[in-house]
Amino acid sequence: MLAEIINPYYLQVLSFILINIILGVSIYITLSTGQLSLGHAGFMSIGAYTSAILTLNYDFPLVVGVILGALLAGIVGILIGIPTLRLQGVYLAIATLGFGEVVRVLFINWESLTQGAIGISSIPHFGRELVTGLRDTGFTADMIGIRNNQLISLLVFIILLVITVLLITFFVRQNHSRVGRAFAAIKMDENAAEAMGINITYYKVLAFAQGAMVAGFAGALYAHVTAYISPSDFAYHRAVEILIFAVFGGSEVIWGPIFGATFLTAMPELLREVSEYRYMIYGIILVAMMAFRPQGLIDHEMIYKIKSRKKKKKKVEDDKKERNRHGVGS
Amino acid sequence: MLSVNNIQTYYGNIQALKNVSIEVPQGSIVTILGANGAGKTTTMKSIAGVLKPKQGTITFLDEDITNKNPDELVRKGISLVPEGRAILSGMTVLENLEMGAYQRKGSIKQDLDKVMERFPILKERQSQLGGTLSGGQQQMLAIARALMAKPKLLLLDEPSMGLAPLIVKDIFQIVKEINEEGTTVLLVEQNARQALKIADHAYVLETGRVIKSGSAKELLKDSSIKEAYLGH
Ligand SMILES: Nc1ncnc2c1ncn2[C@@H]1O[C@H](COP(=O)(O)OP(=O)(O)OP(=O)(O)O)[C@@H](O)[C@H]1O
Ligand SMILES: [Mg+2]
Repeated sequence: MLAEIINPYYLQVLSFILINIILGVSIYITLSTGQLSLGHAGFMSIGAYTSAILTLNYDFPLVVGVILGALLAGIVGILIGIPTLRLQGVYLAIATLGFGEVVRVLFINWESLTQGAIGISSIPHFGRELVTGLRDTGFTADMIGIRNNQLISLLVFIILLVITVLLITFFVRQNHSRVGRAFAAIKMDENAAEAMGINITYYKVLAFAQGAMVAGFAGALYAHVTAYISPSDFAYHRAVEILIFAVFGGSEVIWGPIFGATFLTAMPELLREVSEYRYMIYGIILVAMMAFRPQGLIDHEMIYKIKSRKKKKKKVEDDKKERNRHGVGS
Repeated sequence: MLSVNNIQTYYGNIQALKNVSIEVPQGSIVTILGANGAGKTTTMKSIAGVLKPKQGTITFLDEDITNKNPDELVRKGISLVPEGRAILSGMTVLENLEMGAYQRKGSIKQDLDKVMERFPILKERQSQLGGTLSGGQQQMLAIARALMAKPKLLLLDEPSMGLAPLIVKDIFQIVKEINEEGTTVLLVEQNARQALKIADHAYVLETGRVIKSGSAKELLKDSSIKEAYLGH
């Protein structure tokens, strides 16, 4: 029965949605201190290449490769974040875009390590590695009545889902902490935040590095899900795509870019005819959002309304319960 | 308490402060007067650590603080209310006040109550967004927010700017009260007459230099000051 439900193709689409959600979260973090970055494709590629090379050429365990890939992207994020601190808005975007291109050109030309424009193939695949691991413990796909490739895509999806949920939970909690309040204050008014005794340099670099690290993490996951990466995967259009998740979905609350990533990844899959015009649609979205809803689809107000409606509903229910109780009593 | 010794501060190549020395004794109100562009804001920012002087020293409670960062200075007890109501317009009044205590550890409940008592309007509007307050209320919020850091020295940069005369009077009254409760105040003002009335000492800045200083009483009577800043 399970065999009929599990469709590897759909699971793969879902997995890409999850990776894009992580990328959406990464741009959200950087934006949450008001820093506009077009360098996330570059950070993503650092994570992807690092993990791919370490696991393929140096036999690192996959988990270690992914972690080191994310860490290296984070460290590069610190190195880029400090000198660009004084840059605001579009100037920062241009500088980070330049950074992304430098990284890409580096990966194209460092052929001995990266195989240049051809890219790296047969990178250890997440799902396959896991299935092999499971087989050693005696578990196989037919034990639950599905084919091997179904098990592979199912495992990839489940693991990505768990990772994504954990990541979102972490950043939602960070938002409600001291760090989150400092980020919000800096985004609202840097001068005021500074006068309040918030260490602007520290928090801006922290946000930039966190964003870079999460993008690198997504890149590493991407490498092990597709098993093939090349510099063109991380070109300019990818940087714009990541930013569009936030522009479309909204960057005020974390749910904005999450929604943006989900919708914009699912749309071309659901509407086949649309996928050809993908980048044209991105352009239209950019212009339309700037004109009509610069804060993105999901903003503070919307979340506030949803929350207060939930509260109201709960109150109505509570009242009902209360009345019932009284009814029983009398 | 605070002593600023011959500082020179630059914006890139532009020298905004050529030579500024200021003494602020503990418990006093000291005011800095001067025309637009004289360097008053630059002086305040240099003291608060937002700008770093190229030359000269600043000491606070016998400690050299010349190159310290604002967050550290807030912890040491220096709070700046910047020019032009720097509040967080997207946060509520209460959140703004909580942010004011960002560098502090432990409970702030008592100080919140105290600040709300001093500014009843803020208590009334505590869940309203900062940006929706009137100009005068925003200035009150900016001062209240600075007080939440429990400063020993409060730096006020033109708190009366753009406010109606009646509210200006309130603001000066509040500054006086804050001082009487033990906080030392350094006040930049265009409203020279009112500033001199509540201040102990005064300094007059012109194009990045102190051109005159003395007790507030003396300066109120000084004929050149009268002519230049008091309007007759
Ligand atoms: N960010 C800046 N970049 C370059 N020059 C600046 C900058 N800020 C101020 N200045 C210059 O420094 C000088 C002193 O400015 P400052 O803001 O300290 O004056 P002020 O006395 O506070 O004036 P006001 O009464 O108008 O607030 C002015 O000549 C001004 O043009
Ligand atoms: Mg000024």
